[in-house]
Amino acid sequence: MDAQPIIALRDVTKVYRQGSVDVHALRGLTMDVEAGEFTAICGPSGSGKTTMLNLIGALDAMTSGSIALEGRELASLNKKQLSELRRDRIGFVFQAYNLMPVLTAYENAEMVLWVQGVDAATRRERVMGLLEQVGLKGMENRRPSELSGGQQQRVAIARAIASNPAVVLADEPTANVDSETAETLLDLMEELNREQGVTFVFSTHDPQVMERARRVVRLVDGRVASDERR
Amino acid sequence: MKILRMAWRNLWRNGRRTLVTVAAMTLALWSMVLYTSLMEGMLSSMETTLLDVELGEIQVHADGYRERPSIWERIEDPDALLQALDETGLRSTARLLGGALVASGDVSTGALLKGLRPERDALVSEVHLRLDRGEWLDPADAKGVVLGYRLARTLAVEVGDELVALSQATDGSMANDLFRVRGVLQSLSEETDRATVFLLEDEFRNFFALEDGAHRVIVRSSEGQDLAAAAGLVEQAAATSAPGVEVRSWRDLLPGLANVFDSAQAAVQVVAFVVYVVIAILILNAMLTAVFERIREFGVLKAIGVSPRRVLALILVEGALQSALAIGIGLVASLPALWFVTTRGIDVGGLGGTAIMGVAMDQIWTGAVSPLTIAGPVFILLFVAGVALLFPAIKAARINPIEAIHHQ
Repeated sequence: MDAQPIIALRDVTKVYRQGSVDVHALRGLTMDVEAGEFTAICGPSGSGKTTMLNLIGALDAMTSGSIALEGRELASLNKKQLSELRRDRIGFVFQAYNLMPVLTAYENAEMVLWVQGVDAATRRERVMGLLEQVGLKGMENRRPSELSGGQQQRVAIARAIASNPAVVLADEPTANVDSETAETLLDLMEELNREQGVTFVFSTHDPQVMERARRVVRLVDGRVASDERR
Repeated sequence: MKILRMAWRNLWRNGRRTLVTVAAMTLALWSMVLYTSLMEGMLSSMETTLLDVELGEIQVHADGYRERPSIWERIEDPDALLQALDETGLRSTARLLGGALVASGDVSTGALLKGLRPERDALVSEVHLRLDRGEWLDPADAKGVVLGYRLARTLAVEVGDELVALSQATDGSMANDLFRVRGVLQSLSEETDRATVFLLEDEFRNFFALEDGAHRVIVRSSEGQDLAAAAGLVEQAAATSAPGVEVRSWRDLLPGLANVFDSAQAAVQVVAFVVYVVIAILILNAMLTAVFERIREFGVLKAIGVSPRRVLALILVEGALQSALAIGIGLVASLPALWFVTTRGIDVGGLGGTAIMGVAMDQIWTGAVSPLTIAGPVFILLFVAGVALLFPAIKAARINPIEAIHHQ
């Protein structure tokens, strides 16, 4: 019997209402993501990439179908349970980094652990190790405004994986950095995936990301047009 | 701890806005502390004037006197009543009251003559301490009288001037006598200022040919004694020593003014509330702007699993920090101002005697400080700031993370 997928989407639809018009962002999308995958979701603008990530990330509710994360059906969870699920089992990396500008690199990276109620000593040990791992040793006390875009995204990655989530959802993580920085970020995420088994799901337009991904799912008009494993 | 740190740092992201908000809150608190102190001072001064100088807490008259004051309607044996009151421990004095025409030179006017025994009266009333000029009554100066502030002005008399009094004596004869102005009182109340002449009891009796009795007995309760309980004691004392009298507390005598005192504190709070509502609008505007500017951050916090309760707490702590700053600075800044108004006061003598419902304010308007002087304005500031913060805090806590993260 096959192992249970980390993410299971079954016939998922999402319809947005814009004025008097229904916009179908996802049209019966079905796919699984296994543990340890390094998956890129690509497709043209409006194909449903971000919508799909938002639904998997429990940030939005689907119109129909089902989404399960580690076997838990998202539709059956209330707001508080969804918030706890995001906190404990999902890591987020955003296109615009979205760090707290008033917090240092260290404080940003430990944010999720703090929300989880992890004690200060454990947080410190974990976060200092992570910052060293993402190449920011010695920059713990810098605020986001004192870091480059690539460095900020590294802090965001450290924040995303600090709590050992089941999956890291990265929405266009290299869109705001130059290609050289994008390359080093991808190196970092690939290393985390390979060495620590962190599962990554990206939405991207970036050919660099698609090249490095071991699975590329192409969406067109809210449906899976192709699913390529390498 | 992290919320406190974040809140503190957030405040200084837009330092100018925070400073303006804190400055407005500080100014409001400072002015309200000062206003409360001055109001408390004014009420305290009025109460002192009213009770310590004019009315006393309780008055006893012959039945029917208050409805129709007359020289013939009097307490028959006031000394027996005073002695009975002495035995209860209550301080008391008797006064004689009679109308007369007083004149000096070409000017004459109606006046109320009040006869008293200075030694006994001083135990009950502080009127002898409220001289604007001259001296109080002295048994060694039988013809010396003390006039109300405006009466002296009306008659254009000064200390040492002569004063003629005319009336009808109780024996039906024409009462007339020549007195000498011994002192002029400060502004105390409408009645005293405009038409009162104090004189020795014996001179009053001679003038009106009144051998016995008194028209009014003024009684003081002890410090902190319940007014109704004191009135009960007076009634008991009067029941045996002076039957046929009416005992009334100052609240019964001047119910309008009693209401003013009762509602004055509430009026102070209402004014404070109105001032703070303006401040609340400022806080609301500042915090709404702050929330709007940081909408993406709140979206991210919600996305990574920060509970709405914590987001709410973050905004409330930011407001609490601003309030704490304002309270700290405001109270420190209040100290010299409070010192000034309580020790030096504001000279309102130039207003020519200000009275509220007939009770004059002191020429030097001084403030008073009680726990409420500080606690009242601080409590209302915290309440109003809390209410003003709730809306932006709830708005931030209920933010939809997707809409917030993609907010431009």
